[in-house]
Amino acid sequence: MRRTAADNPYLHKDFHGAMSTGIQYLHERYGEEAVRDYLRQYTDAYHAPLKAAISRRGLAALQEYFERIYAIEGAEIAIEFSEDELVLKVAACPAVSHMRQHGYRVADLWIETTRTVNQQLCAGTPFAYELLEYDEQTGRSVQRFYRRAS
Amino acid sequence: MISCTEFIPAYSELFKFLEAKGGKQEVVAYWEYISDNFLHNLRELVQEHGLRGCWLYWSHTLNEEAADFTMTIDDEAGEFSIVMHHCPSKGRLNQLQHLEPYHDYCGHCDVLYRRVLEPLGFECLADLSECEQARCSFVVREKRT
Repeated sequence: MRRTAADNPYLHKDFHGAMSTGIQYLHERYGEEAVRDYLRQYTDAYHAPLKAAISRRGLAALQEYFERIYAIEGAEIAIEFSEDELVLKVAACPAVSHMRQHGYRVADLWIETTRTVNQQLCAGTPFAYELLEYDEQTGRSVQRFYRRAS
Repeated sequence: MISCTEFIPAYSELFKFLEAKGGKQEVVAYWEYISDNFLHNLRELVQEHGLRGCWLYWSHTLNEEAADFTMTIDDEAGEFSIVMHHCPSKGRLNQLQHLEPYHDYCGHCDVLYRRVLEPLGFECLADLSECEQARCSFVVREKRT
């Protein structure tokens, strides 16, 4: 079998299961705070360009990011957007859906891949974050990003 | 949510995080955990189909990962091989100008797969000598007495 990168789209959803296994490992071996510390480190490292864009361009940068990754994952989302507030509604987390469908364990602290990552996306920017609703079974969520009071 | 398209940098950062906690041995311990707790599908396919299970497993994963590879199987010789012309994972890490990959990122493949396949009666030969350029090869051979 010979394949080139152009032959297939890049979408390996089993990576969600691998991510979950890693979160569970960290939790069991090092405790809850290690999971959050790791996710903060990841966010600061990988999302440095996005964080810079949020500081520079505001919530529009986040809106574009969420529209892009949820479209790739084939998920249904709704975004209410203004200059000072963005509310993201995710009907069902595509990662959780894939893991439940394929029998992967959803890590006990899976919620932190949403909550901690998005909190850290806002750290050091003019914006703040709160997770308003989260359903552990489906990953359905309502999340709010808003401009901090000056 | 961390998108599955963002998993590879998350994986690389986890290796760094673990190494900072307790050195390389902590990273290897995690790789062994992943092998034991995540690669059930590879283990089950090889248990059921023998060497052809490798073909079935990597046909799925490498296509979904949009890899640039050549995969062969010689049932008579009892040999399966992957020549990775451009690894999608290492390639993506190399492309990220703002993020330094874990220094032994590619080491995980050899540990993960060897740990599944050797107890099932196969020997594994990994050539990672060009992995910094996102190229490698992996050969699985039936052990014959």
